[in-house]
Amino acid sequence: MSTLELHGVHAGYGKAQVLHDVSLRVGDGSITTLLGANGAGKTTTLRAVSGLVRFTGQILLDGRQVPAAPDAVARLGVAHVPQGRGTIGRLSVDDNLHAGALLRRDRAQVRADLRRLRELFPVLAERARSQAAGLSGGEQQMLAIARALMGRPSLLLLDEPSLGLAPLVTKEVFVLLPRLRDEWALTVLVVEQNADLALRVADHAVVLESGRVALAGTAAEIAGHDEIRRAYLGN
Amino acid sequence: MNLVQQILDGLSSGSVYATLALALVLVHQSTGIVNFAQGQMAVISTYVAWTLYDAGVPVWAAIVAAIAGSLVAGALAERLLIRRFEKGEPLAAIVVTVGLLISINGVVSLIWGTVLKQFPSAFPRGGVGSGNGGTIGFGTLGTIAVLLVVVLALGWLFRHTRLGLAFRAVAANPESSALLGLPVGRLLMLGWGLAAAVGALAGCLVAPKLYLAPEMMDSVLTYALAAAVLGGLNSAIGTVLAAWFIGVVENLAGTYISFVGGDMKIAVPLVLMILILLFKPEGVFGHKEVRRV
Amino acid sequence: MSLMIDLVKPDGGAARRPYGRMLTGAALVIVLAVFPLVMSPFANLQVTLTLVYAVAILGLDILVGWTGQVSLGQSAFFGIGAYGVAVCADRGWPVWAGLLFGVVLAGVVGCLVAVPAARLRGYALGMITLTLPVVAVPLAKRLEVVTGGAQGLNVTIAEAPEWTGLAADQWHYYVVAAGAALVFALAAALRRSHFGRAFDAVRVDEALATAQGVHVTRYKVLAFTLSAVYGGFAGVLYVVAVQFISPETLILTLSISLLAGLAIGGLRSLLGCVLGAAFYVVVPNVTGEVSAGQSYLLYGVCLLAVMLLMPRGVAPALDRVVRNVAGRRGRAVAPGD
Repeated sequence: MSTLELHGVHAGYGKAQVLHDVSLRVGDGSITTLLGANGAGKTTTLRAVSGLVRFTGQILLDGRQVPAAPDAVARLGVAHVPQGRGTIGRLSVDDNLHAGALLRRDRAQVRADLRRLRELFPVLAERARSQAAGLSGGEQQMLAIARALMGRPSLLLLDEPSLGLAPLVTKEVFVLLPRLRDEWALTVLVVEQNADLALRVADHAVVLESGRVALAGTAAEIAGHDEIRRAYLGN
Repeated sequence: MNLVQQILDGLSSGSVYATLALALVLVHQSTGIVNFAQGQMAVISTYVAWTLYDAGVPVWAAIVAAIAGSLVAGALAERLLIRRFEKGEPLAAIVVTVGLLISINGVVSLIWGTVLKQFPSAFPRGGVGSGNGGTIGFGTLGTIAVLLVVVLALGWLFRHTRLGLAFRAVAANPESSALLGLPVGRLLMLGWGLAAAVGALAGCLVAPKLYLAPEMMDSVLTYALAAAVLGGLNSAIGTVLAAWFIGVVENLAGTYISFVGGDMKIAVPLVLMILILLFKPEGVFGHKEVRRV
Repeated sequence: MSLMIDLVKPDGGAARRPYGRMLTGAALVIVLAVFPLVMSPFANLQVTLTLVYAVAILGLDILVGWTGQVSLGQSAFFGIGAYGVAVCADRGWPVWAGLLFGVVLAGVVGCLVAVPAARLRGYALGMITLTLPVVAVPLAKRLEVVTGGAQGLNVTIAEAPEWTGLAADQWHYYVVAAGAALVFALAAALRRSHFGRAFDAVRVDEALATAQGVHVTRYKVLAFTLSAVYGGFAGVLYVVAVQFISPETLILTLSISLLAGLAIGGLRSLLGCVLGAAFYVVVPNVTGEVSAGQSYLLYGVCLLAVMLLMPRGVAPALDRVVRNVAGRRGRAVAPGD
């Protein structure tokens, strides 16, 4: 478990500024959801945390500034499941999972984790040797999450897990989040368009609007405000 | 010369092409670039080996030292020069390797001059009988054996080690790999380093067959490119089989089809290769990417 | 001026001053026209050869830059055009017949290669085109009766008419310059036509191009054929310039050098084709003068230096400079208006 804090973060691509003075806090062991319309800067926030986008301001992991290179951030225990899942299509399911644990030296524990994840996601055991690209969208999302967990992260960043999935599958993924948080000792920051679903499992929520934090509070508070829902969440 | 000898000689030349082709595949796998300087890098490595040998170092040790040096030099080339072009226009990257080719050729001529040098074979003289009074040289058999060892070693490295998995992950998807904490930059350096080392081996294998000269690898590079593409640019086994095919067909055509002769023999495997590519555009052994929409 | 269209974009500052643009064009034409009258034969040959290779690089640009294919075969088409005109001249046929023969032959071979090759992508296509020079060189040596074998062919074509009073190098300069100007103008027109847009569509996204009703294979074949025709025409101009052709001219190295010239000049730029050709022709002379022994090394280093400083080529870099200057001048003038 880890605490993530952003203080006055500005980030963007080239001349296009996407984030303007974003500050937020993701508490130890919580599930926080980052909501907002398309282009509000949700993905950019995650990419800034994991070093894929340059930023100014402070991003602190357990009180210490995160490094600028993605691999260095990952080594601090931050797992980022990007939009589109980032599974490596050309590699087998098993190779993908093992790639998630390449930095670990505790081999016995890696094997144990692999067993646990295969129990949790039986399809990963059934299709261990097939190319990851051949999995369905939902299966790939599970592979991506399982692979992230293989690295025993303390902070899990999930970018739009629902993208391209059937509603039922999406629900399955979200319902799983609290369980994963408890069993794998995680702090979770999940970006989502589907606010209803995300608010149901999250403890906290942050709403971004045009690259600025518009609202922050407990999930119940945000979910309870009809006006907020209408204004920022579009329903 | 009997047929068995001809085929084995073809396999031996094919093994040299295969070794350089494997270097090309390594580079293409890691950085997505076709390195036109691969042959020229092998040439300078071979000159280094020759210099060590000339100074009294045993030939095997000289070759090993040159290979080790090439590993470092290849990695540096990636870090200092190629990295700036990995994400840009592919043509720019190709042309940079052409610039590297020309520059290394210049350096070789500058240091060692253009006079041909005799490079010793690392294999013993003589050979074994092949029936009909012919002999198959140890050099021929040794070249094939070295290639087999290289292929097995690379296969083991990539399929059965953590380093190999990391390398394959980075080759397939650098950004995802970085998010998993893999040191992408260092792995790309390693890809180029390994390729340079394998290329150096190819240079040391071919030099005793010809003379050591700055242009020694030019034609080998053409064959190696052909083999690498025919193999799909991503399959070691496919590349080796393609290179052997090229080596054997070239040798047999040059010997037995009188019109072809020594100057046109290169055309035969290339034309056959084109016909194959037309029916299997992804190469004979290259795997099609599975895609889901 | 066709040469200027990519340097001075219609939306750039210079386009707002049409007189300035016409003046620049006129000045360029005058300089190019007077050049051979006052310069040495050697300098004339350098410019002539630059224009020759610029045409070959332009052909490559149609394929690589416009349509996004790879080719290592341009030297073979160059050779076909050159041998076409030289062999005809050798038999005593008129030069226009040789020109037609060389260019058409290059186009036919290009089309024959392209029809099957258009099904391939990327390096597989590069591979097939690599075969062309590898086969063409020994073939040219073999067909000794026609091609003069390894010795090559010496010919006398496009002699300066008596009334002009021009020396051979001057006349050849004008002939090549006129030919180059013609095909550059053609390419510029083509680029702006719906063909240019179709080529762009094929390069950017084949699936999307198909969806938009662009027949991808047809345009790939067309690009390849055009590229070959330009290569062949460049070969004809080459024979006009040097009155000689040998198998050594069409080796793979020329193909690679032309690709390098294209990258150095910059893709999709007519000016870039000329600059890339100038690099290929002029830089080896300069480095040779600096140090004969290390000329090749210096050439390689120059190539690397240009790519490192201007990874997208010289013409786009120049374009940016011009636009910055024009932009600054535009801003400086604006308050006064």
